[in-house]
Amino acid sequence: MSANATCEFQAKDYKSDLKPIWCPGCGDYSVVQGIYRALAAVGRPPHEVAFISGIGCSSRIPGYTTAYGFNTVHGRALPIAQGIKLANPDLLVLAAGGDGDGFSIGGGHIAHLIRRNIDITYLVMDNQIYGLTKGQLSPTSQKGRTTCTSPYGSLENPVNPLLYVLAYGAGFVAQASPTDLAGMAAIIEEAIRFPGFAFVNIQSPCVTYGEEVQQIKGLKAISENLASLGHNPADRLAAMDLAQHYGEKLHLGVFYRNPEPAPTYDALIRERQAALSKDAPPKERILDLFIKK
Amino acid sequence: MTTRGIDFKALSLKDALDLAVLVEEEAKERYEDFAAQMDQHRTPDAARFFRYMALNEAKHGEALAARRAELFGSAPSAVTRAMIFDIEAPDFDAARAFMSPRQAMKAALASEVKAHAFFVEALPALKDAAVKALFEELRDEEVQHQDLVQAELAKLPPDSGLSDEDFVDEPTAQ
Repeated sequence: MSANATCEFQAKDYKSDLKPIWCPGCGDYSVVQGIYRALAAVGRPPHEVAFISGIGCSSRIPGYTTAYGFNTVHGRALPIAQGIKLANPDLLVLAAGGDGDGFSIGGGHIAHLIRRNIDITYLVMDNQIYGLTKGQLSPTSQKGRTTCTSPYGSLENPVNPLLYVLAYGAGFVAQASPTDLAGMAAIIEEAIRFPGFAFVNIQSPCVTYGEEVQQIKGLKAISENLASLGHNPADRLAAMDLAQHYGEKLHLGVFYRNPEPAPTYDALIRERQAALSKDAPPKERILDLFIKK
Repeated sequence: MTTRGIDFKALSLKDALDLAVLVEEEAKERYEDFAAQMDQHRTPDAARFFRYMALNEAKHGEALAARRAELFGSAPSAVTRAMIFDIEAPDFDAARAFMSPRQAMKAALASEVKAHAFFVEALPALKDAAVKALFEELRDEEVQHQDLVQAELAKLPPDSGLSDEDFVDEPTAQ
């Protein structure tokens, strides 16, 4: 048995004074605890952390965290997080939201953050339903699901968030769930420490509109730890193979971690700025660049 | 109910006491969290019961911490919260909006049963006699806690048999 290194910060240091107003029993209560623990383990002080979200139940999470926070507009957490990271690369930037926010309204943004490889950790609390607006079909709802917007059962195939980000080349892809809080905290910590865009899909049950099989007992019944399966997280194709079981099995752990992470966009921008600033005119002469000689 | 990185065969009395303190601490925090959830959703009776449970867990934790301090002083701990999950704490989704006191007590009873099962399962792996004795004591205490909750349950008026689920509308097209 080995003791973990003691941290300067405790999980409670990241807990804000706002009381969560999620439904009692919501999986997001567990997720926010996992985030507090991960932040404490990483040890960055709250004033060096920016937490950006979209709209939805899970997007309330920055309010419950002591850090800079911005509860933005629906589906736009990632572009705003990107702007914050580029403006202040020293900040630890987290983005969070639900499956609808991330893969429907904001679905187009993920690909661009991945291809740019911006050093942001994106946490999606995937509950396969629009819970805040009272239970409509979401992009990850399973086919056949009956909701108020699909009273005869959904005819659509769900988005597979894991395959989606793996296909675009995300450097870090993992899945967690409230069935294992300590494991979730460890995964979020690893995602934060990864130098580049990191994605964690968190199966967070909706106790009000979720189905019985999607609750913690149901999730436990289908969960399998990737490490115990002998999965090699450096093997992207194996990760994609496992990710195809999204919705049938709950694989917990790191699907893919690029063993040779590419340079991040924020680092490249800094390099470019440094290179260009060598021969750059002084700021007061900057307008001369636009004057024809 | 999971543990991570705990070698029960090699568990020392100091680590076992620290582990027991962490188990109580986790349960106390979960009950406080549940009480806050009930407050937010204007369910004062369930909130009151969860606070009562949090207080009990805190008392047990303090008693165990005092024993640990007496035997081992301020020797550094080798166990952390990351090594345990949901041993005596009710499951995160055991809370529900507008829980009745009966539902709250049943959630607490389930977690006491779960904690008892944890100590029963761990016992065969233990080698140290003092650790074994401690785990037997903790196992038996969980039975007492179950009795305590059962006694509280018995004080309640008979259940109406109705559930919130009975009043939920089926989805309608929008």
